[in-house]
Amino acid sequence: MTAVATPASAPSRRRSLTGVIGIRHLATPAVVVVALIADYLWVHSLRLDSIEQRTLNSGYLVGRTAEHLKLTLVATVLIMSIAVPLGVLISRVRARWVPPLVLGLANVGQATPAIGVLVLLTITVGPGVGVAMTSLVAYSALPVLRNTLIGIQQVDPTLIEAARGMGMRPAQVLWRIEMPLAVPVVLAGLRTALVFCVGVATLATFVNAGGLGDIIVNGIKLDRDPVLVTGSILTASIALLLDWAGGLVESALRPKGT
Amino acid sequence: MPQRATSLALAAVTAVTILPLSGCFGGDSVEAASGSGDALKGASFTVGSKDFAEQIILGRMTVDLLKANGAKVTDKTNIKGSASTRKALVSGDISMYWEYTGTGWITYLKHTKPIADQRGQFEKVAAEDLAKNSIAWIDPPAPLNNTYAFAVRKDKADALGLKSLSDLAALSRSKPSEATFCIESEFSTRDDGFPGLLKAYGIKAPGAQVKMLDTGLIYTETAKGKTCNFGEVFATDGRIPANKLVVLEDDKKFFPVYQPALTLKKGTLEKYPALKKIFAPLAEKLTTFEMQKLNALADVEGEDPEDIATSWLEDNGFLK
Repeated sequence: MTAVATPASAPSRRRSLTGVIGIRHLATPAVVVVALIADYLWVHSLRLDSIEQRTLNSGYLVGRTAEHLKLTLVATVLIMSIAVPLGVLISRVRARWVPPLVLGLANVGQATPAIGVLVLLTITVGPGVGVAMTSLVAYSALPVLRNTLIGIQQVDPTLIEAARGMGMRPAQVLWRIEMPLAVPVVLAGLRTALVFCVGVATLATFVNAGGLGDIIVNGIKLDRDPVLVTGSILTASIALLLDWAGGLVESALRPKGT
Repeated sequence: MPQRATSLALAAVTAVTILPLSGCFGGDSVEAASGSGDALKGASFTVGSKDFAEQIILGRMTVDLLKANGAKVTDKTNIKGSASTRKALVSGDISMYWEYTGTGWITYLKHTKPIADQRGQFEKVAAEDLAKNSIAWIDPPAPLNNTYAFAVRKDKADALGLKSLSDLAALSRSKPSEATFCIESEFSTRDDGFPGLLKAYGIKAPGAQVKMLDTGLIYTETAKGKTCNFGEVFATDGRIPANKLVVLEDDKKFFPVYQPALTLKKGTLEKYPALKKIFAPLAEKLTTFEMQKLNALADVEGEDPEDIATSWLEDNGFLK
């Protein structure tokens, strides 16, 4: 009987992605689309000089946007694969002093100016994507680490008690009770980290790692407003869209009844 | 958010590069008592500058000289970035600062092609800025030329027999793997920057051999020689001699001229014509060699730009 019941109940356990997109979820993409179109029309109405043309052409813009997305997404994957297991691990540790120590280190990572880390690393190991990635991860890992830890700690102890009482082993308790219930909190941390990454990735330009910072810094230094505004709108759009996508995933993965 | 992050970043970068040298800053170390006249009695000015050593030194010299002539001065030197400094002048937040002819021409007057002749460049930029924006440039500009240049480690230059950018162009064809460059991202998009340079000299630089770095890092990376052999630098920067770098001669006179001159609103100069008499003799003394020495004191020795400015003025008879 149960074998038949499980597939039937599976769709209802998690809300489907299409189910969670309502009118209120369309506001962010709408704002982004309007901003991008407005910027496009504005730039097109201007007579661009050769400096602006070298930046404001589709090849350059697409290239830098792709670099920026790559920096952000790779950093986020790295953060997830480092901070989530680490968060789980320190939630298991008996010694009381371990979590504050690890969180303190992550705090230091975030409190240290990312540009300082970038410059110092470049002076020691030389410039490049690796350096940019390291400082992105160091800067943005804290929200995921902290939320993983908090997400697991906030699980109702009576549920864990009950799971143990049903004969679950610790690993089963983790995977079937604690982790699913921690998901919303972890994902909230992830969304924060994503937005951090998008912002900090603009600094990659200083260490030969590309991204939209190339455009923004150019616009600032040469006082070319169309360049600066376009670079900024693209960066903001990426941040908004990634946060929006994170929100959708969060709603979709939220366990039923929470 | 991204814009804020970037300006913070720029601020941080500058803080990293300038902090050790600016030390305790601002304040009224030089009193009007050391005066060399009261031509500006009753006047009050706010002096600005951009955020690197040369600019702060020029700004502090200006503060000292104004005070010495009886004016009340507010010190707003060390503003982040050229664009913000210029905006502060236009909006009236500051009354004067030293701007470079090439920057005025390309950045503010939005031209893309520089004028090769030094005097011609100054006259054009001064005339157009006055007509369009009512900004006056005090004539003459300083003889120093803080233009772009390419620097290379001295031993490397000797080993490869490099003296000029034409030699570099020849090297880029005979030993392409040696032609590696560190440049700022803005330099990569300017006509008077990398694209124009490659064309003018026929230098071959495949994309993978061109690294884009922050200004401060270019000096350290060029000195190490691992990331690149040739770094885009500013000709008057004190870190060139300090890092044992030599500048390759721009034998085709490709780079624009960047001579600093004191810029201020037309109205200010009309109200206080004495300013021209006060600052012309100062400008005349500021050569590339002299400025490189002063910049090195700040960037390499870590001296306070304020002290550098004051003692230079005393040594050269501008202050008693």
